[in-house]
Amino acid sequence: MLLYQFQVVYKIYCILIPKFCFLCGFDAEEDLVGSLASMSSNEMIKSFRRFGNALSEFFQQLRPWHKSLKIIGAEFGTSVLSYFVFLKWLLNFNIFSFLINFGFITIPQFLAAEPNNLSFTGLELLTGAGYFQQTVLYYGFYTNATISKVENGPSYNMQLAYIFTVGIYFVICFLILLFSMARFFSSNFRLTKAFSVNASKLLCTWDFNITNEEAVKLQQKNLLTQIKVQTTGGTQLMCASHSVGDLVVHTNLCSGLFHYRQSAMLVLPVIVSLLNTLVPFLFSWLGHLEKFQSPGQHIYVTIVRNIILKISIVGILCYYWLNIVATSESQCWETLVGQDIYRLVLVDFIFCLLGSFFGEFLRRIIGTTVCVSLGLPEFDIGRNVLDLIYAQTLTWIGILFSPLLPGIQMIAFLIVFFVKKVSLMRNCQPPREVWRTAQMTTSFIFLLFCPSFLGVLSLFFHTLRLKPSEECGPFRGLPSMYAAVDEWIQMLERYTVSKWVVWIYHNLIASELFFFIISTAVLILTYLYWQIIQARKTMIKLLHNQIINAGQDKKFLLQKLQREQRAKRRSSSALGGRGQQVSLTAHLLLFNCLGQVHGAPPAVQTACCFGKRLSLRFNLNSCYLTPDSKRMQCESSLIICSRLEFSLDIEKPLPSPDIIYGYETSRKHS
Amino acid sequence: MGNKQTIFTQEQLDAYQSQEPTRLSVCLRLFHRYRDLAPQLVPLDYSAKPAVTLPYELISSMPELKDNPFRQRIAEVFSEHGDGNMTLDDFLDMFSVLSEMAPRDLKAYYAFKIYDFNNDDYICKSDLAKTVNKLTRNELTPEEVSLVCEKVIYEADVDNDGKLSLADFQHMIVRAPDFLSTFHIRI
Repeated sequence: MLLYQFQVVYKIYCILIPKFCFLCGFDAEEDLVGSLASMSSNEMIKSFRRFGNALSEFFQQLRPWHKSLKIIGAEFGTSVLSYFVFLKWLLNFNIFSFLINFGFITIPQFLAAEPNNLSFTGLELLTGAGYFQQTVLYYGFYTNATISKVENGPSYNMQLAYIFTVGIYFVICFLILLFSMARFFSSNFRLTKAFSVNASKLLCTWDFNITNEEAVKLQQKNLLTQIKVQTTGGTQLMCASHSVGDLVVHTNLCSGLFHYRQSAMLVLPVIVSLLNTLVPFLFSWLGHLEKFQSPGQHIYVTIVRNIILKISIVGILCYYWLNIVATSESQCWETLVGQDIYRLVLVDFIFCLLGSFFGEFLRRIIGTTVCVSLGLPEFDIGRNVLDLIYAQTLTWIGILFSPLLPGIQMIAFLIVFFVKKVSLMRNCQPPREVWRTAQMTTSFIFLLFCPSFLGVLSLFFHTLRLKPSEECGPFRGLPSMYAAVDEWIQMLERYTVSKWVVWIYHNLIASELFFFIISTAVLILTYLYWQIIQARKTMIKLLHNQIINAGQDKKFLLQKLQREQRAKRRSSSALGGRGQQVSLTAHLLLFNCLGQVHGAPPAVQTACCFGKRLSLRFNLNSCYLTPDSKRMQCESSLIICSRLEFSLDIEKPLPSPDIIYGYETSRKHS
Repeated sequence: MGNKQTIFTQEQLDAYQSQEPTRLSVCLRLFHRYRDLAPQLVPLDYSAKPAVTLPYELISSMPELKDNPFRQRIAEVFSEHGDGNMTLDDFLDMFSVLSEMAPRDLKAYYAFKIYDFNNDDYICKSDLAKTVNKLTRNELTPEEVSLVCEKVIYEADVDNDGKLSLADFQHMIVRAPDFLSTFHIRI
């Protein structure tokens, strides 16, 4: 197939090259038109499509973990699968960041590296300090010089490289997250109330992914239980208000965290991770105590509490780093912050593995041997996804201070995927409660974007304005990290060829007026779209009512006609035929479900003209629209009896919501 | 990635790939799965378009379909004559509709046909009763089944004719965002 593509491309070149030669004055009398005509447009489209297919084939053949995902989906269903798919998606961000940081920042640094005088003891892997302090792992090691291999040759400005690499990575992440979130929102999130809960539960939620016999039986049993609960009308009390209690718990925890900051190096990360691991158990235990209206609400409240906990922890840590460590007189505060984040990431990873061990493995042992009533544990999707989001947030915060941190997180995620998969297959049972996968996935991506990524972005902008440390890092000596960009723009002003870059910088990027205008425009657009959504919602309601009304009208008319036909049959048995053939044309007035009348105003007129009633059978297939498209005409010819009764039978059920609102007839003798 | 496959002609491949966006590798993988069901019946060379049909028993023995309560209806809906015996084209259609790529409307259309047991273009109460029984392994009492069916029709029947038409079903699907991920078989 590729050979075919090459033939096509070769053909194109064969056409273009003679043309070029012709333009250059050569006497190429090739049959250009003939060649072009021989490759018809169909062939070109086909060949492009084949080329596109070949490219996507190649990338799809990589297909990492396809088999693992299939097995997980087959045994545990789509809900648990969504966690692993999310993990795989987050891994891509880290791989991308690691590659560009390594390529643009670390490799040039290797060329200008200073020797490392410290000794390596194994403890560095855990604490990140010591030997690692003088390696490319941290901000402090990077030089602020412009690196050039050859004297007076092309030079590489490390300051600009550092700031632009990280900045452009964040911009790309922002765009990817924004578009993913928008796509998920548009297809998955329904703002209108779902009032077909039972119907969709029956017909739309059976998981065809599940192919394991036991899992299928379990799914059937779950559905049976849900239906039984609904038919017996189980109700539960409303939950009490939790918000006050939540606030108290959170403030106590976080103030305690604040006091520990001065202690030894590993204590802080361990305490943070302990909080992160144990407090969610406290929350879910609280959730069991409280009574909720539905199991979905219980999951939702627990997740919200976990989110608030993690936001508080990250918020306090960032405040500490940026306001206290950065303004302290320590030698290289960025490296210190980088080390803190490294330790946090590492300890969080270790606790994740431990949590999997204790939460699932030991719980299974307890559930099967000691306390059999507990049973096998379930895979807690919400808590695990929030852990992933927390880990990714830490990584994003740490990119500026430790450029190779995404690489470490990448390895961590790979190990977590493997460990979680093994633990899931060995220890867990498929989920019992309903988990609305599409909406939860959308919510998680929204969480990844809104508090997590936007928070990191604002942190990044704030850090750019802080004073960098004097003795280390690529920005030493400058008043702020952002000053490197200012200096670069000043340097560009001297060259006329790059004046447009300077103009863009001064008028678009550094100018407040421009951002004010853009913000106003975006707000106006948002308001307009909001109003359009409201109008559409009203329209949907009206149309819905119209469909219901049209259905009721149709039912009423059909019943009326059936009654009349029955009455006719009862009394028409003793009629003698006259043998007179009459051709009748009935005009049917139709209008569609929006209530627009085609033609004359609606009127139900029975053909009681002449005091006789006539029976007609219409097959709607034999009807046709009159030239002005206002009426539909059906013709039928009958042999009439002496006493005529009229009723209209419609042989084929109406295929569309169009309604017959009335009919008038005219009669002509043949 | 050089294509040494000799199973299909280029025109056949174009036909497959233009109808639904099925990749070549997926086509070939599905072909080999089809062939593995009955290697003695399915030839390796499809360029002569042989008329080979695999009986329903073989199709329903596939691990992806073996435990699915709707396997018989799935096979009937996608088979040419509605009897469950599938040719390769039917097989490819089935897995392409059940794949991730298929659009929502296509999936809704085929899901509707699967749940319509009596093939009258409506999901009436008896169809729903059969569905409920298949989904709960016949463990509900007839009164409960009837109650569930009435609730479903009450909620989903928009034009009030006592049964669900394709439009009602699609209206319901629009409000169930999980449908795209659950009506999906990975191969």
